Amino acid sequence: MIDTESIMDVLREIPDPEMPISIVDLGLVEDVRIETNGDSAVVSIDILPTFVGCPALPMIENEIRTKVGAVEGVGEVSVQFIYDPPWSVDRISDDGRRSLAAHGVTVPEHGSKLDVPGHGSTVELRTSAIACPFCNSNETRLDSQFGPTRCRMIYYCESCKNSFEHMKRV
Amino acid sequence: MDNLPENLKQPMIDLLLAVADDKLMLGHRNSDWTGLGPILEEDIAFSSLAQDEIAHAQVIYELLSPLVDKTADELAYGRSIDQYRCAQIVELPDGFDWAVAIARQFFCDHFDRLRLRALSHSSYKPLADVASRLAAEEQVHVDHVDAWIVRLGKGNTDSKQRLQTALDQLSPIAPMLFEPVDHEAELITAGLYPQAETDMFHAWRDVLQHVAHEGGLALELSPPNAGAQGGRRGHHSEHLKSLLDEMCEVYRLEPGVAW
Repeated sequence: MIDTESIMDVLREIPDPEMPISIVDLGLVEDVRIETNGDSAVVSIDILPTFVGCPALPMIENEIRTKVGAVEGVGEVSVQFIYDPPWSVDRISDDGRRSLAAHGVTVPEHGSKLDVPGHGSTVELRTSAIACPFCNSNETRLDSQFGPTRCRMIYYCESCKNSFEHMKRV
Repeated sequence: MDNLPENLKQPMIDLLLAVADDKLMLGHRNSDWTGLGPILEEDIAFSSLAQDEIAHAQVIYELLSPLVDKTADELAYGRSIDQYRCAQIVELPDGFDWAVAIARQFFCDHFDRLRLRALSHSSYKPLADVASRLAAEEQVHVDHVDAWIVRLGKGNTDSKQRLQTALDQLSPIAPMLFEPVDHEAELITAGLYPQAETDMFHAWRDVLQHVAHEGGLALELSPPNAGAQGGRRGHHSEHLKSLLDEMCEVYRLEPGVAW
Protein backbone atom coordinates (compact mmCIF):
# COMPACT_ATOMS: atom_id res chain seq x y z
CA MET A 1 0.00 0.00 0.00
CA ILE A 2 1.46 3.32 -1.06
CA ASP A 3 0.96 6.23 1.26
CA THR A 4 2.35 9.75 1.45
CA GLU A 5 4.88 8.79 4.10
CA SER A 6 6.38 6.01 2.02
CA ILE A 7 6.78 8.42 -0.90
CA MET A 8 8.38 10.98 1.46
CA ASP A 9 10.84 8.28 2.55
CA VAL A 10 11.89 7.86 -1.05
CA LEU A 11 12.19 11.63 -1.52
CA ARG A 12 14.35 11.84 1.62
CA GLU A 13 16.91 9.71 -0.20
CA ILE A 14 17.21 12.16 -3.09
CA PRO A 15 20.04 14.66 -2.57
CA ASP A 16 19.93 18.15 -3.98
CA PRO A 17 22.41 18.19 -6.91
CA GLU A 18 24.17 21.27 -5.54
CA MET A 19 23.77 20.86 -1.77
CA PRO A 20 24.84 18.07 0.58
CA ILE A 21 21.27 17.53 1.87
CA SER A 22 18.11 15.88 0.65
CA ILE A 23 15.44 17.77 -1.24
CA VAL A 24 13.11 17.16 1.73
CA ASP A 25 15.53 18.73 4.24
CA LEU A 26 16.04 21.63 1.84
CA GLY A 27 12.29 22.24 2.02
CA LEU A 28 11.58 21.76 -1.67
CA VAL A 29 8.71 19.28 -1.27
CA GLU A 30 5.45 21.12 -0.72
CA ASP A 31 2.87 18.43 -1.39
CA VAL A 32 2.52 14.78 -2.34
CA ARG A 33 -0.82 13.52 -3.68
CA ILE A 34 -1.67 9.92 -4.44
CA GLU A 35 -4.55 8.80 -6.60
CA THR A 36 -5.17 5.09 -6.73
CA ASN A 37 -6.34 3.81 -10.05
CA GLY A 38 -7.01 0.08 -9.83
CA ASP A 39 -3.63 -1.60 -9.30
CA SER A 40 -1.47 1.42 -10.03
CA ALA A 41 -1.18 4.75 -8.31
CA VAL A 42 -0.64 8.20 -9.80
CA VAL A 43 1.70 10.26 -7.63
CA SER A 44 1.87 14.02 -8.09
CA ILE A 45 4.51 16.01 -6.29
CA ASP A 46 4.67 19.80 -5.91
CA ILE A 47 8.19 21.19 -5.73
CA LEU A 48 9.18 24.74 -4.77
CA PRO A 49 12.28 25.91 -6.66
CA THR A 50 14.86 27.66 -4.47
CA PHE A 51 16.03 30.07 -7.14
CA VAL A 52 13.87 30.77 -10.16
CA GLY A 53 15.03 28.78 -13.16
CA CYS A 54 17.70 27.02 -11.08
CA PRO A 55 19.67 24.79 -13.47
CA ALA A 56 19.38 21.89 -10.99
CA LEU A 57 15.60 21.65 -11.46
CA PRO A 58 15.57 19.27 -14.45
CA MET A 59 17.97 16.96 -12.58
CA ILE A 60 15.75 17.01 -9.51
CA GLU A 61 12.68 16.26 -11.62
CA ASN A 62 14.44 13.31 -13.31
CA GLU A 63 15.59 11.88 -10.00
CA ILE A 64 12.09 12.09 -8.57
CA ARG A 65 10.54 10.44 -11.63
CA THR A 66 13.09 7.63 -11.56
CA LYS A 67 13.09 6.93 -7.82
CA VAL A 68 9.38 7.35 -7.14
CA GLY A 69 8.52 5.61 -10.41
CA ALA A 70 10.50 2.56 -9.20
CA VAL A 71 8.28 2.11 -6.13
CA GLU A 72 6.09 -0.94 -6.55
CA GLY A 73 2.55 0.01 -7.43
CA VAL A 74 3.38 3.46 -8.76
CA GLY A 75 2.18 3.80 -12.34
CA GLU A 76 2.73 7.45 -13.06
CA VAL A 77 4.69 10.29 -11.48
CA SER A 78 4.06 13.95 -12.18
CA VAL A 79 6.24 16.76 -10.86
CA GLN A 80 5.05 20.38 -10.77
CA PHE A 81 7.22 23.37 -9.97
CA ILE A 82 5.13 25.96 -8.16
CA TYR A 83 5.91 29.40 -6.68
CA ASP A 84 3.10 29.66 -4.15
CA PRO A 85 4.06 29.40 -1.34
CA PRO A 86 7.49 30.78 -2.14
CA TRP A 87 10.50 28.77 -1.01
CA SER A 88 12.59 30.49 1.64
CA VAL A 89 15.60 29.49 3.72
CA ASP A 90 13.18 29.07 6.64
CA ARG A 91 12.04 25.84 5.02
CA ILE A 92 15.43 24.18 5.58
CA SER A 93 15.04 21.64 8.40
CA ASP A 94 17.25 21.59 11.52
CA ASP A 95 18.83 18.35 10.33
CA GLY A 96 19.48 20.04 7.01
CA ARG A 97 21.07 23.03 8.72
CA ARG A 98 23.40 20.79 10.74
CA SER A 99 24.40 18.84 7.66
CA LEU A 100 25.07 22.00 5.68
CA ALA A 101 27.14 23.49 8.53
CA ALA A 102 29.23 20.31 8.64
CA HIS A 103 29.98 20.95 4.97
CA GLY A 104 30.88 24.58 5.56
CA VAL A 105 27.59 26.15 4.42
CA THR A 106 25.66 28.39 6.81
CA VAL A 107 22.00 29.38 6.54
CA PRO A 108 20.39 32.67 7.62
CA GLU A 109 18.47 32.49 10.90
CA HIS A 110 14.81 31.58 10.85
CA GLY A 111 12.44 34.44 10.22
CA SER A 112 14.09 35.96 7.16
CA LYS A 113 11.59 37.99 5.25
CA LEU A 114 10.93 37.39 1.61
CA ASP A 115 9.54 40.85 1.10
CA VAL A 116 12.59 43.02 1.60
CA PRO A 117 12.06 46.40 3.27
CA GLY A 118 11.52 49.57 1.19
CA HIS A 119 14.12 51.26 -0.89
CA GLY A 120 16.16 52.69 1.98
CA SER A 121 19.91 52.79 1.85
CA THR A 122 21.30 49.48 0.78
CA VAL A 123 24.85 50.73 0.45
CA GLU A 124 26.24 48.77 3.40
CA LEU A 125 27.34 45.28 2.56
CA ARG A 126 25.57 42.89 4.90
CA THR A 127 28.19 42.00 7.44
CA SER A 128 25.96 41.16 10.42
CA ALA A 129 27.62 38.49 12.51
CA ILE A 130 27.40 35.14 10.79
CA ALA A 131 29.11 32.53 12.91
CA CYS A 132 31.87 30.59 11.19
CA PRO A 133 30.72 26.98 10.68
CA PHE A 134 34.25 25.72 11.41
CA CYS A 135 35.32 27.64 14.56
CA ASN A 136 32.09 29.38 15.56
CA SER A 137 33.77 32.79 15.61
CA ASN A 138 31.70 35.87 14.81
CA GLU A 139 34.73 37.57 13.30
CA THR A 140 33.52 36.95 9.77
CA ARG A 141 33.04 39.22 6.79
CA LEU A 142 31.26 39.04 3.47
CA ASP A 143 33.79 38.34 0.75
CA SER A 144 31.51 38.09 -2.29
CA GLN A 145 27.75 38.21 -2.77
CA PHE A 146 28.03 35.64 -5.51
CA GLY A 147 29.37 32.14 -5.08
CA PRO A 148 29.55 28.69 -6.65
CA THR A 149 25.80 28.50 -7.20
CA ARG A 150 23.12 31.15 -7.54
CA CYS A 151 21.82 30.59 -4.01
CA ARG A 152 25.11 30.99 -2.12
CA MET A 153 27.59 33.74 -1.28
CA ILE A 154 31.11 33.64 0.15
CA TYR A 155 32.17 34.67 3.66
CA TYR A 156 35.64 34.71 5.20
CA CYS A 157 36.48 33.95 8.82
CA GLU A 158 39.15 36.24 10.27
CA SER A 159 39.73 33.86 13.19
CA CYS A 160 40.41 30.54 11.51
CA LYS A 161 41.20 32.05 8.08
CA ASN A 162 38.74 29.80 6.27
CA SER A 163 36.27 30.76 3.57
CA PHE A 164 32.77 29.41 3.93
CA GLU A 165 29.51 29.65 2.03
CA HIS A 166 26.34 31.30 3.22
CA MET A 167 22.94 30.83 1.65
CA LYS A 168 21.34 34.00 0.34
CA ARG A 169 18.55 35.40 2.45
CA VAL A 170 15.65 34.82 0.11
CA MET B 1 -7.36 36.10 -11.05
CA ASP B 2 -5.86 33.30 -13.08
CA ASN B 3 -7.10 34.42 -16.48
CA LEU B 4 -6.72 37.77 -18.20
CA PRO B 5 -9.65 39.75 -19.59
CA GLU B 6 -9.51 39.61 -23.38
CA ASN B 7 -9.06 43.37 -23.88
CA LEU B 8 -6.03 43.48 -21.56
CA LYS B 9 -4.27 40.48 -23.01
CA GLN B 10 -2.20 42.35 -25.58
CA PRO B 11 -1.02 45.08 -23.17
CA MET B 12 -0.05 42.39 -20.66
CA ILE B 13 1.85 40.51 -23.37
CA ASP B 14 3.76 43.71 -24.18
CA LEU B 15 4.52 44.38 -20.52
CA LEU B 16 5.79 40.84 -19.90
CA LEU B 17 7.89 41.05 -23.06
CA ALA B 18 9.39 44.30 -21.76
CA VAL B 19 10.32 42.61 -18.46
CA ALA B 20 11.74 39.48 -20.08
CA ASP B 21 13.50 41.25 -22.97
CA ASP B 22 15.23 43.69 -20.59
CA LYS B 23 16.47 40.75 -18.56
CA LEU B 24 17.55 38.65 -21.51
CA MET B 25 19.60 41.44 -23.12
CA LEU B 26 21.10 42.60 -19.82
CA GLY B 27 21.97 39.00 -18.97
CA HIS B 28 23.60 38.61 -22.36
CA ARG B 29 25.63 41.79 -21.81
CA ASN B 30 26.58 40.56 -18.31
CA SER B 31 27.89 37.33 -19.78
CA ASP B 32 30.35 39.35 -21.89
CA TRP B 33 32.36 39.70 -18.67
CA THR B 34 32.73 35.97 -18.04
CA GLY B 35 36.46 35.36 -18.05
CA LEU B 36 37.20 39.09 -18.33
CA GLY B 37 36.08 40.52 -14.97
CA PRO B 38 38.57 42.93 -13.39
CA ILE B 39 38.89 40.67 -10.33
CA LEU B 40 37.90 37.05 -9.76
CA GLU B 41 34.93 37.91 -7.50
CA GLU B 42 33.46 40.19 -10.16
CA ASP B 43 34.05 37.63 -12.87
CA ILE B 44 31.90 35.28 -10.79
CA ALA B 45 29.45 38.07 -9.92
CA PHE B 46 28.79 39.06 -13.54
CA SER B 47 28.52 35.42 -14.58
CA SER B 48 25.98 34.90 -11.77
CA LEU B 49 24.10 38.04 -12.78
CA ALA B 50 23.91 36.65 -16.31
CA GLN B 51 22.60 33.31 -15.03
CA ASP B 52 20.03 35.06 -12.84
CA GLU B 53 18.77 37.42 -15.53
CA ILE B 54 18.53 34.78 -18.23
CA ALA B 55 16.73 32.43 -15.81
CA HIS B 56 14.36 35.27 -14.90
CA ALA B 57 13.73 35.96 -18.58
CA GLN B 58 13.02 32.28 -19.16
CA VAL B 59 10.39 32.05 -16.45
CA ILE B 60 8.63 35.17 -17.81
CA TYR B 61 8.72 33.79 -21.37
CA GLU B 62 7.16 30.62 -19.96
CA LEU B 63 4.35 32.69 -18.43
CA LEU B 64 3.87 34.29 -21.84
CA SER B 65 3.99 31.03 -23.70
CA PRO B 66 0.31 30.03 -23.39
CA LEU B 67 -0.82 33.62 -24.10
CA VAL B 68 0.95 33.79 -27.45
CA ASP B 69 1.11 30.09 -28.32
CA LYS B 70 4.90 30.13 -28.69
CA THR B 71 7.62 28.37 -26.73
CA ALA B 72 10.02 30.27 -24.47
CA ASP B 73 12.81 29.67 -26.99
CA GLU B 74 10.71 30.95 -29.89
CA LEU B 75 10.00 34.09 -27.88
CA ALA B 76 13.61 34.60 -26.86
CA TYR B 77 15.24 33.92 -30.22
CA GLY B 78 12.60 33.75 -32.90
CA ARG B 79 11.17 37.26 -33.17
CA SER B 80 11.98 40.04 -35.61
CA ILE B 81 13.81 43.01 -34.10
CA ASP B 82 10.77 45.32 -33.96
CA GLN B 83 8.92 42.75 -31.84
CA TYR B 84 11.34 43.10 -28.93
CA ARG B 85 10.26 45.40 -26.11
CA CYS B 86 13.54 46.00 -24.23
CA ALA B 87 14.72 49.50 -23.38
CA GLN B 88 17.69 50.76 -25.37
CA ILE B 89 20.01 50.99 -22.35
CA VAL B 90 20.28 47.19 -22.14
CA GLU B 91 21.23 46.98 -25.82
CA LEU B 92 24.34 49.15 -25.59
CA PRO B 93 27.71 47.45 -25.60
CA ASP B 94 29.78 48.64 -22.64
CA GLY B 95 33.03 48.51 -24.61
CA PHE B 96 34.49 46.49 -21.73
CA ASP B 97 34.58 49.64 -19.68
CA TRP B 98 33.99 48.50 -16.09
CA ALA B 99 32.56 51.86 -15.06
CA VAL B 100 29.96 51.73 -17.86
CA ALA B 101 29.05 48.15 -16.92
CA ILE B 102 28.52 49.17 -13.28
CA ALA B 103 26.59 52.34 -14.17
CA ARG B 104 24.26 50.41 -16.49
CA GLN B 105 23.72 47.79 -13.81
CA PHE B 106 22.91 50.55 -11.32
CA PHE B 107 20.14 52.06 -13.47
CA CYS B 108 18.72 48.72 -14.62
CA ASP B 109 18.84 46.67 -11.40
CA HIS B 110 17.06 49.34 -9.36
CA PHE B 111 14.42 49.75 -12.05
CA ASP B 112 13.96 46.00 -12.37
CA ARG B 113 13.53 45.56 -8.63
CA LEU B 114 10.90 48.33 -8.40
CA ARG B 115 9.00 46.94 -11.38
CA LEU B 116 9.05 43.41 -9.94
CA ARG B 117 7.90 44.64 -6.55
CA ALA B 118 4.94 46.33 -8.23
CA LEU B 119 4.17 43.19 -10.24
CA SER B 120 4.34 41.05 -7.10
CA HIS B 121 1.06 42.77 -6.14
CA SER B 122 -0.52 42.12 -9.53
CA SER B 123 -4.05 40.76 -9.52
CA TYR B 124 -2.86 38.26 -12.16
CA LYS B 125 -1.80 35.55 -9.75
CA PRO B 126 0.62 33.50 -11.90
CA LEU B 127 2.61 36.70 -12.45
CA ALA B 128 2.43 37.90 -8.83
CA ASP B 129 3.78 34.55 -7.54
CA VAL B 130 6.77 34.63 -9.86
CA ALA B 131 7.43 38.36 -9.46
CA SER B 132 7.72 38.20 -5.68
CA ARG B 133 10.38 35.50 -6.01
CA LEU B 134 12.24 37.48 -8.66
CA ALA B 135 12.09 40.69 -6.60
CA ALA B 136 13.78 38.92 -3.68
CA GLU B 137 16.55 37.68 -5.96
CA GLU B 138 16.93 41.11 -7.56
CA GLN B 139 17.65 42.61 -4.14
CA VAL B 140 21.03 40.86 -4.19
CA HIS B 141 21.85 42.57 -7.50
CA VAL B 142 20.91 45.95 -6.07
CA ASP B 143 23.07 45.45 -2.97
CA HIS B 144 25.96 44.38 -5.16
CA VAL B 145 25.87 47.34 -7.52
CA ASP B 146 25.22 49.91 -4.77
CA ALA B 147 28.34 48.73 -2.97
CA TRP B 148 30.35 49.21 -6.17
CA ILE B 149 28.96 52.68 -6.83
CA VAL B 150 30.09 53.79 -3.37
CA ARG B 151 33.38 51.94 -3.55
CA LEU B 152 34.35 53.44 -6.92
CA GLY B 153 33.03 56.87 -5.94
CA LYS B 154 35.13 56.88 -2.79
CA GLY B 155 38.07 55.03 -4.34
CA ASN B 156 40.45 57.52 -5.91
CA THR B 157 40.29 60.38 -8.39
CA ASP B 158 40.59 58.02 -11.32
CA SER B 159 37.84 55.59 -10.26
CA LYS B 160 35.52 58.46 -9.32
CA GLN B 161 36.12 60.30 -12.59
CA ARG B 162 35.54 57.20 -14.69
CA LEU B 163 32.31 56.32 -12.91
CA GLN B 164 31.08 59.91 -13.10
CA THR B 165 31.72 59.91 -16.85
CA ALA B 166 29.81 56.63 -17.22
CA LEU B 167 26.86 57.93 -15.16
CA ASP B 168 26.79 61.12 -17.25
CA GLN B 169 26.88 59.06 -20.42
CA LEU B 170 23.95 56.81 -19.49
CA SER B 171 21.74 59.12 -17.40
CA PRO B 172 20.08 60.77 -20.46
CA ILE B 173 18.86 57.41 -21.84
CA ALA B 174 18.28 55.50 -18.57
CA PRO B 175 14.86 57.11 -17.82
CA MET B 176 13.52 55.52 -21.02
CA LEU B 177 13.33 52.33 -18.94
CA PHE B 178 10.07 53.97 -17.80
CA GLU B 179 8.65 54.38 -21.30
CA PRO B 180 5.22 52.74 -21.03
CA VAL B 181 4.15 49.90 -23.28
CA ASP B 182 0.99 50.58 -25.33
CA HIS B 183 -2.09 50.73 -23.06
CA GLU B 184 0.01 50.42 -19.90
CA ALA B 185 -2.33 52.82 -18.09
CA GLU B 186 -5.16 50.32 -18.52
CA LEU B 187 -3.08 47.59 -16.89
CA ILE B 188 -2.42 49.91 -13.96
CA THR B 189 -6.10 50.82 -13.57
CA ALA B 190 -7.11 47.16 -13.71
CA GLY B 191 -4.73 46.24 -10.88
CA LEU B 192 -2.60 44.07 -13.14
CA TYR B 193 0.38 46.40 -12.74
CA PRO B 194 -0.39 48.22 -9.49
CA GLN B 195 1.68 51.29 -8.66
CA ALA B 196 2.80 52.34 -5.22
CA GLU B 197 1.76 55.74 -3.87
CA THR B 198 5.12 57.26 -4.69
CA ASP B 199 5.40 57.29 -8.40
CA MET B 200 7.93 54.72 -9.56
CA PHE B 201 10.15 57.16 -11.45
CA HIS B 202 10.62 59.34 -8.38
CA ALA B 203 11.22 56.34 -6.12
CA TRP B 204 13.89 55.20 -8.59
CA ARG B 205 15.50 58.62 -8.95
CA ASP B 206 15.57 59.17 -5.15
CA VAL B 207 17.28 55.89 -4.33
CA LEU B 208 19.80 56.28 -7.16
CA GLN B 209 20.66 59.80 -6.07
CA HIS B 210 20.95 58.74 -2.45
CA VAL B 211 23.48 56.03 -3.31
CA ALA B 212 25.37 58.23 -5.81
CA HIS B 213 25.69 61.03 -3.27
CA GLU B 214 26.96 58.52 -0.72
CA GLY B 215 29.79 57.91 -3.18
CA GLY B 216 30.29 61.64 -3.77
CA LEU B 217 28.90 61.42 -7.31
CA ALA B 218 26.49 63.74 -9.10
CA LEU B 219 23.40 62.34 -10.79
CA GLU B 220 20.61 64.20 -12.58
CA LEU B 221 17.65 62.30 -13.97
CA SER B 222 14.54 63.63 -15.72
CA PRO B 223 11.40 61.69 -16.56
CA PRO B 224 11.18 60.60 -20.20
CA ASN B 225 9.30 62.94 -22.54
CA ALA B 226 5.67 61.95 -22.84
CA GLY B 227 5.76 61.29 -26.59
CA ALA B 228 9.21 59.71 -26.74
CA GLN B 229 9.23 56.44 -28.63
CA GLY B 230 11.84 53.88 -27.70
CA GLY B 231 12.33 50.19 -27.11
CA ARG B 232 8.97 49.59 -25.44
CA ARG B 233 7.32 50.44 -28.80
CA GLY B 234 9.82 48.46 -30.82
CA HIS B 235 12.21 51.30 -31.72
CA HIS B 236 15.70 50.03 -31.04
CA SER B 237 19.29 51.16 -31.35
CA GLU B 238 21.55 49.78 -34.06
CA HIS B 239 23.23 47.70 -31.34
CA LEU B 240 20.27 45.37 -30.82
CA LYS B 241 20.68 43.94 -34.30
CA SER B 242 24.27 42.87 -33.72
CA LEU B 243 23.38 41.61 -30.26
CA LEU B 244 20.58 39.45 -31.68
CA ASP B 245 22.74 38.26 -34.58
CA GLU B 246 25.24 36.94 -32.07
CA MET B 247 22.77 35.63 -29.48
CA CYS B 248 20.48 33.92 -31.98
CA GLU B 249 23.16 32.59 -34.32
CA VAL B 250 22.78 28.96 -33.32
CA TYR B 251 18.99 29.07 -32.98
CA ARG B 252 18.63 30.48 -36.50
CA LEU B 253 20.61 27.59 -38.01
CA GLU B 254 17.59 25.40 -37.49
CA PRO B 255 14.72 26.98 -35.57
CA GLY B 256 12.73 24.58 -33.44
CA VAL B 257 15.27 21.78 -33.50
CA ALA B 258 15.38 19.68 -30.30
CA TRP B 259 18.67 19.86 -28.40
